[in-house]
Amino acid sequence: MFNFNPLTIKQIRRFKTIKRGYISFIIFCMFILISIIAELLVSNRALVVKYNDTYYFPAYGDIIPGKVFGLDYEYETNYRDLAKIFSSAPESSNFVVLPPVPYNAFENDLKDDAFPPFAPSATDKHYLGTDKTGRDILARLIYGFRIAIFFSLILLFSNYLIGISIGCLMGFIGGKFDLLFQRIIEIWTNIPYLYAIIIISSIIIPSFFSLLIIMVIFNWINMTWYMRTATYKEKERDYVLAARALGAGNTRIIFKHIIPNTISIIVTFIPFSISGGITALTALDYLGFGLPAPSPSWGQLLSEASEFTTSAWWIGVSIISALILVLTMVTFIGEAIREAFDPKMHTTYE
Amino acid sequence: MNNYLLKVKDLKMHFPVKGGVLYKQINTVKAVDGISFNVKSGETIGLVGESGCGKTTVGRAILKLYNPTEGEVYFEDKNIVHLRPKELRIARRNMQIIFQDPFESLNSRHTIGYIIEEPFIIHKIGTSDERKQKSLNILKRVGLPENALNRYPHEFSGGQRQRIGIARAIALNPKLIICDEPVSALDVSIQSQILNLLLELQRELNLTYIFISHDLTVVKHISDRIAVMYLGKIVEFAEADTIYKNPMHPYTQALISAIPRPDPLYKGKRIVLQGDVPSPVNPPHGCSFHTRCPYAKDICKNKTPVLQMYNKDNDNDHLVSCHFAGEIG
Repeated sequence: MFNFNPLTIKQIRRFKTIKRGYISFIIFCMFILISIIAELLVSNRALVVKYNDTYYFPAYGDIIPGKVFGLDYEYETNYRDLAKIFSSAPESSNFVVLPPVPYNAFENDLKDDAFPPFAPSATDKHYLGTDKTGRDILARLIYGFRIAIFFSLILLFSNYLIGISIGCLMGFIGGKFDLLFQRIIEIWTNIPYLYAIIIISSIIIPSFFSLLIIMVIFNWINMTWYMRTATYKEKERDYVLAARALGAGNTRIIFKHIIPNTISIIVTFIPFSISGGITALTALDYLGFGLPAPSPSWGQLLSEASEFTTSAWWIGVSIISALILVLTMVTFIGEAIREAFDPKMHTTYE
Repeated sequence: MNNYLLKVKDLKMHFPVKGGVLYKQINTVKAVDGISFNVKSGETIGLVGESGCGKTTVGRAILKLYNPTEGEVYFEDKNIVHLRPKELRIARRNMQIIFQDPFESLNSRHTIGYIIEEPFIIHKIGTSDERKQKSLNILKRVGLPENALNRYPHEFSGGQRQRIGIARAIALNPKLIICDEPVSALDVSIQSQILNLLLELQRELNLTYIFISHDLTVVKHISDRIAVMYLGKIVEFAEADTIYKNPMHPYTQALISAIPRPDPLYKGKRIVLQGDVPSPVNPPHGCSFHTRCPYAKDICKNKTPVLQMYNKDNDNDHLVSCHFAGEIG
C-alpha cells in the first residue's frame, strides 16, 4: 500500500549513514516519546497502588480521593505520603510504586525551614533541583518540552498546509494570481510579527491554540516562496506535459505529479521549522508574552535562570543545556536530511 | 478533402515577453507564425528545421498543450482549439505525444506500471486488474520485460525509457502521435531500434505520425511527406523523395547538402549558410530567410513570399515559399 519509492529508500539509507544526524534523530524521537509518556516517569501520581488486595493505576484517569486508601481527606491522594505510610507498616501487603521523579510540574514542594529554589538532591528526588516556587525543574523541563514540541509540530503542520497550498497554486496558476499573492506576501512579511504578537498578547491572554493561530497567521509565508519556485520549475517539465496530454486534470497533476516531486524540499525544511517553533515559543515565554503563568515552559525557566544566575545555578545549567541539546540535535537532523536529499547525490546519467 | 485526419490552418503561437515594473507585455516571441498543413490518416509527416524554429511548439500547440494564439486545428473535422476542458480530455484519447528527453518525460516517482496504467486511470477504463493486464500487454509490445512493471524509470537506459514513453503514448490506442524528436537523445544504434518500433506500431495500429526532428536522415527514413520549417514558418512542403531529390527552397537545399554521405567519392557542393537564425522576437521583414539566403534580392527584403504550389512536371504537391522557386539551385 504505502510503497516507498526507491529514491526515497536511497535517501533514507543515506540519512542513516550520516551518523551524527541519525543518532540525533533517534535520541530526539526518544525525547518525544518520553514527553508523551511523561506521566509514567515524572508525576506525583503513583504508577501502581496495592491497597487491601485491590490494584489501582492512578497515573492516568480521574483523581482517586484519599478516602479510598483509608486517608482522611476527599481531595487527591498524596502518593508520596501514602508511600511513607505504607512503608511504615511493613507487615501489610499494601504498597505504592511511584514514578522515578514523584513530582508533577505544578506542585510547590516547600520546606518548613528554607526558601526555594532548592538545590538538586537525590534524597528529595529533585534531581535537577527546584525553581523559585519549589516546583521540580526536571518535571517542568519534560512537560515544557512536551508543550513546546507539540506546539511546533502543530505550527509546522498548519504552516506547511497553508504555505504549500498557496505556494503551489501561485506557481501552478501563475499570472495575475501569482502577482497578487506575491505582493500580499511581501506586505505581510514586513509586519514585524514579534511586535504584533506582543501587542496581541497584551490585549488577550494567549492560550495554546490562540498563540498557535497568531503564529500561523504570520509564519505560513516562508514555505510559499519555495513551493512557488519548485512548482514553477516542475510544471514546465515534460512529464507534466505528458500527463496533460493524457488528459490529466489539474488536481491530478498537482497531487500526483508536482507535489511528490517537491517532497524533498518540504522534508528538508521540517527540522529547521521545528527548531524555529521551539525557539519562538521559548522566546515569547521568556518575555512573558507566551503561554500564561502556571503552564510549564522553557522560556519561563530561562527567565528564572537569569534571575538567579549565581545563587541557583542549577536552573540555568538545566534549561540552557536542555535548549542547547535539543536545538543542536534538531540542527544535526536537518543537516543530515538536507545532505541525504541533496539531488546531486542521486543524479545518474547513463 | 475529407480524408484528412488533421488539418492545421494558419496556426500561430506567440509567446509574450513580459518585463518592467508592472510586468507588462513588452514583446512577442513568434515561435509559430502562420502554419497550415493537412495530415492524411496513416501517413507520417516529417517536420524538420534547426533548433528554435518552432517545430516543437507546433507539435505542442496541435495537442493544445499550449493555447494557440490564432488559427484552427481540426482533428477528424472537429476544431479542437475551442474545446471545453471535458471535451478536450476526450479528444486527447486520440492524440498523444512522445517526448524528446526520456529522462524528463517520465515521472521519477512513479513505477513503470503506474506510468503505463495512468492513461487508463485518467479515462476510467476497466477495473484495476484489467488495467494491469493491459499495461502488461503494452509493455511486452514495446519490447520490455515483464518485471519492469514494478521498477522505476531511473533503473532503465535511455532507449528503454523511450520505449516506456512510447508504451504510454499508445496505451489509449490513439490515432495521431506527435513524435517530438523521439530519437535525438539516443545513441545511433538505439535510434534505429526505436524507429523500427515506431514503424511496426504504425503498421499494426494504423497510426498517424507527425515526426519532429532536426535529423534529416532519420526523417527521410520514416516520413511520407516532409515540411521544412524556418523561423516559425513552413518554407517547403513535399513528398519525402521530392524534398531530397529536388529541393526548391534555398534553405532546404542548404540542409540537404549538409547531410553527410557515406561515399568518399561524393563531390556534391556543400552550401554553408552564413550567420545565425534571426531572433523570433524580431523576425526580418519580407522573406524571413533573406538575411542568410545566398540568392537574396531586393524583393526578398520587402515582400513576404507565400507558401504555394510549385508546378513543375508531375510534382503534384510541392509547396514552396520562395520568390525564385525553380530559378535557383
